[in-house]
Amino acid sequence: MFDDIKTADLAYVGKKAGRPDMVEKLTGEAMFVSDMELPGMLHAQLKKSPHARARIKHIETAKAAALPGVRAIITGEELDYHIGLYIVDKYILAKGEVRHYGEAVAAVAAETLEQARAAVEAIEVEYESLPPVLHHMDALKPDAPLVHPDLGTYSYVTAAFTPKPGTNIANHTKLRKGDVDKGFAESAYIVEREYSCPSVQHVPMETHVAIVQWGKGDKVSIWTSAQSPFTVRNLFCHAFKLPHINVRVQTPYVGGGFGGKAGIGVEPLCAVLSRKANGKPVKFQASREEEFSLLPCRSALTYRIKTGISADGRILAQHMTMYWDSGAYADYAVNVTRASGFSASGPYEIPNAWVDAYTIYTNKPYGTAYRGFGHVEFHWAVERHMELIASAIGMDPLEFRLKNALRPGCHTMTGEEILPGTGNVVKCIEEAARRVGYGTLTAAEKAREKKTGWKIGKGVAALQKAPAMPSFTATSVVLKMNEDGSVLVNLALCDYGQGTYASIRQIVAERLGFDIEKVKVAFENDTDRDPYDWQTVASKGLLLSGNAAILAAEDLLKTAYAVAGEALRANPRDLAHDGTKVYIKHHPSKSVSFSSMAVGLAMPNGNGIGGPLIGVGRYIAQGLSNLDKETGEGNPAIDWTYGAHGMIVEVNEDTGEYRVLKVASVYDVGRAINPDIVRGQAIGGMIQGLGTAICEGYIYDQQGRLLNPSFTDNKIPTAKDLPMEIECAVVETPQVDGPYGARGVGEHSMISVAPALGNAIQKATGAEITHMPMRFEDVWRAIQKKEPIDNWITKSPVGSCRSAPELRNHE
Amino acid sequence: MKIKLTVNGLLYERDCAEHTTLLRFIREGLGLTGTKEGCGMGECGACTVILNGHAVNSCMVLAAEVDGAVISTIEGEAQGPSLSDIQKSFEKHHAVQCGFCTPGMVMSVKELLVDNRKPSTDEVKEAIEGNFCRCTGYTQIVEAVMDLTGQPDGKGELEHV
Amino acid sequence: MVYEFRYLAPRTASELAALLDGHKTDGKILAGGTDLIPNIRNGLMKPRVVIDIKKYEGADRISFGSDGLSMGPAVTINDVLRSKDARERYPVLCGCAHELASHQIRNRATVTGNVVNASPCSDMAPALLCLGASAVIRSATGERIVPFSQFFAGVKKTVLVPGEFLERIVVPAASAGAVGRYMKLKRIAGHDLGIVGVLMTRHEGRLRFAVSSAAPTPVLVDTVTEKDSPDEAARKVLAAVSPISDVRGTREYRVHMIGVYVRRLLAEVR
Repeated sequence: MFDDIKTADLAYVGKKAGRPDMVEKLTGEAMFVSDMELPGMLHAQLKKSPHARARIKHIETAKAAALPGVRAIITGEELDYHIGLYIVDKYILAKGEVRHYGEAVAAVAAETLEQARAAVEAIEVEYESLPPVLHHMDALKPDAPLVHPDLGTYSYVTAAFTPKPGTNIANHTKLRKGDVDKGFAESAYIVEREYSCPSVQHVPMETHVAIVQWGKGDKVSIWTSAQSPFTVRNLFCHAFKLPHINVRVQTPYVGGGFGGKAGIGVEPLCAVLSRKANGKPVKFQASREEEFSLLPCRSALTYRIKTGISADGRILAQHMTMYWDSGAYADYAVNVTRASGFSASGPYEIPNAWVDAYTIYTNKPYGTAYRGFGHVEFHWAVERHMELIASAIGMDPLEFRLKNALRPGCHTMTGEEILPGTGNVVKCIEEAARRVGYGTLTAAEKAREKKTGWKIGKGVAALQKAPAMPSFTATSVVLKMNEDGSVLVNLALCDYGQGTYASIRQIVAERLGFDIEKVKVAFENDTDRDPYDWQTVASKGLLLSGNAAILAAEDLLKTAYAVAGEALRANPRDLAHDGTKVYIKHHPSKSVSFSSMAVGLAMPNGNGIGGPLIGVGRYIAQGLSNLDKETGEGNPAIDWTYGAHGMIVEVNEDTGEYRVLKVASVYDVGRAINPDIVRGQAIGGMIQGLGTAICEGYIYDQQGRLLNPSFTDNKIPTAKDLPMEIECAVVETPQVDGPYGARGVGEHSMISVAPALGNAIQKATGAEITHMPMRFEDVWRAIQKKEPIDNWITKSPVGSCRSAPELRNHE
Repeated sequence: MKIKLTVNGLLYERDCAEHTTLLRFIREGLGLTGTKEGCGMGECGACTVILNGHAVNSCMVLAAEVDGAVISTIEGEAQGPSLSDIQKSFEKHHAVQCGFCTPGMVMSVKELLVDNRKPSTDEVKEAIEGNFCRCTGYTQIVEAVMDLTGQPDGKGELEHV
Repeated sequence: MVYEFRYLAPRTASELAALLDGHKTDGKILAGGTDLIPNIRNGLMKPRVVIDIKKYEGADRISFGSDGLSMGPAVTINDVLRSKDARERYPVLCGCAHELASHQIRNRATVTGNVVNASPCSDMAPALLCLGASAVIRSATGERIVPFSQFFAGVKKTVLVPGEFLERIVVPAASAGAVGRYMKLKRIAGHDLGIVGVLMTRHEGRLRFAVSSAAPTPVLVDTVTEKDSPDEAARKVLAAVSPISDVRGTREYRVHMIGVYVRRLLAEVR
């Protein structure tokens, strides 16, 4: 869909343009599901497990059922629905056994929240506590308890995944390229290290919420804060064995998602309650604590990398083993594993590669998609590893990166050839380095060091990501012309903040040649009204839906030309148009306006021709293939977006305290359709990445109870946490099949922020940090060469304030 | 109990349960759902309203406490059909993404600008420190306020290499 | 709030005292609400009656007189920061106040609430300890005055008994002019509870340290003298605290940082 037109020659694409959702959001008029109330609506509350693993012996609900206002109580025992994205391994409510702390075991719907809460407290659950398996590395031990003893009986997507029944391995992804043994044998240096990061929370500001009404005739209406209405509908219909025409999913404004709302969430729970309450609508909104432990998180990762390097600093072979902590259910974690497997080396050429990537069940809240889909986590490892290799072989890390970076002619680990149009990671790295003055300290920086006594260091880290999606991922866009010649754009790709609709609006206005004020992209998606989109994930929205929008615009124009040709007695080939009318090229005064054709043209004698002008655009990913399960060979990537961050940090060596002085982020976006939105994604993701780099992470006690399920002890960055200086720049190597050359950048800004920080800290202090986040204490320990603390599953959970559940309950 | 209060210039007299928070009262009692709940614990600021001149987390205030009070919420910010200056600057600077934190954020900025027409960037950051935003990374919000107060730094642009 | 309770707002201090006397077991005092309301929300406290301490005449008074700075139970953290008396005479009090939570919380949270809550990580306690402040405690049967050095009894425990309330905090006039600085180690630059906090004041030749988040209660150390070396000063302060390991940090790091802060403060507070 790329047309080689300079941005200067375009009216809207590449230019400043406003977002279409601003007034609604700035005035509070935008309606989120959390704001919605339906007549007769009931409120749901959940009884949740205090154990990480336990047998449910008995649930006593009689007392609760007798309380005023209670309209439905449900336990897992009375339900027999399995849900799952890739491996169907989860019940709506725990049945027989609970598999993680905070898992729901019973649900209540009542007239008021107060009544629902009172009923939940009146439910008594008798558990037989079982020893949990908590750390994913422990779960691999032969004597580890099995989280899913019935794994062998579950259905799963066989083309992509390989579960190992009788173990805790939910999936094993393999990739084999070249001859690693030979590569290692030829290497002058071999560096092997292990890296890790804990589970973290997405923290959308609007927690998961849904309202479901199970109407008569099994017609189900769902309003939900979700990223992908069609996927919610599809998974819902599969779980309940309902025809798709019976189920309608609507997503109004969505208060953030970041992957956490990509699949199906609390909708089935509300649905079964509504059905039991005789069809009354039921609303459930997760509390912030439930967002942390009932709903999914990002998987923890342990990543072991062994690299063989030639005497002149070229990577010859790399052996990579990823251990992904799935938590209690597979959800997206198995696909994170798969997508990370084929991208595991980062943007570097590895001639001989060997990847084993495992998804491992544990008794913890389960992992799902999170901005970057594994790439934030494994780039932490890869980009720290590149730094540590460079220091081990006595080469500058920037030089080492550039020497091994992917360039045209290189091949990815799955065998895909890098072409000039694939994108330019080398330029991104060089530009990020230049922008932080990599390699030396300026006079001002030296003076600052002298004044503060804190050491300044500069680091660079590169990144790559392609959308992780089925090879046949498809979307569609429909344009409908209004009576006044303006155009309504319908699509089911959601805009839950990322701003894609602003870009789609620019693309449609550009292709139609219309004033942008005449183009509206309809917010609030509806599976009964909008054309299909698979999911709003993977940074694929702009490319796929942007192309579909172009096709829809062309389709609408084609229809308009046909009507105009008939009205003007002209061949459509001889017609042209401007923003208001279609005219005959050689008789420009002979024209017919779009507004007169919009809903059907009336000829002077009253005859009608044409009909409502509608444009349809359908687009499906092209040229992708399944990966060979034994070698990983294949073509998984519709586009690669490359990038790099440069970072300047100052560190107090005596305490581990540090401040980020500057971040410079550079991405090859193909073409920045809307520069302000690209910058918004760049900075928003970078700060989110910085949050996980500096402090975020789940901490459990040894019984598997989450110790920090709230903002009290799970901090996210505030405005005060901004680096002192932020620069964002784009390289624009056009994506030949991208809309106006664009490729996605929604997730990329979060990737490699942490290793850029780690690398800068290492430059400043020599500290070799391999575990993130890098809290001040972690940095201090690394500088002092003290044993690192791994308190992500801690032996001493007693908090001094409000941390530990034990303390909370006995206050 | 019965309470009487002024919200966005309008006087309301309502019955409310004594345990109701101001947040729930505003949203459910008055139907002003622009004010959001993000955590219910006073950590995130999505529920920020201006109570007698001060920005507060309405999730930690009881409706019963504010009998006789004067309150501003996001719904009172735009006068007539056009946006307020704060809102216009947010719009211009793309200081909104998902929009869930936005009402609270605007309220915090509004309180800041009452007594401080030329805040420094540090003062702006401190004023919105209690308002979590997971989408924007705050930068465009700070830029919106600096521009609004006649102190644009001119750096807020994407650069092309 | 999903738990129900009654709300009472006494209009005089004696009415308040009488109400508290009648609700010793089922009543809770509501000041700023920034701890009480989340605690009720989370089901950690289930009072039947919530008694608003802010509504009686004079509850929000902050004034400076011959006996010092007096703060009623409705005085918020930002009231302190806005008070000319506090800013000019007790910069240390303002320094600690400024470190407490976020702006919205400071608009609501009260000084009395922060100390009655008796969290080990109280940010106001260090200032009140170093400045020699006292708690004026009242009940239906009378009044007693307890210096803050004897006010805290343990994690989330004070010397207050049911029926009593903290009617006033008095920071003595003699402490006016004390200089000092509060260093609070946090996980992020934004609002957070302290991993450790150390306040040092210097006034009329006397040094005082107070430490938060390092013992079951905030701790005052007034044994350090000008003659002590920085290491000796750190040793004395550390001897008075007993930090633990928790989700915010290990005991080892807390001990280290307290020492660092004591040495930094000795160099910086002049």
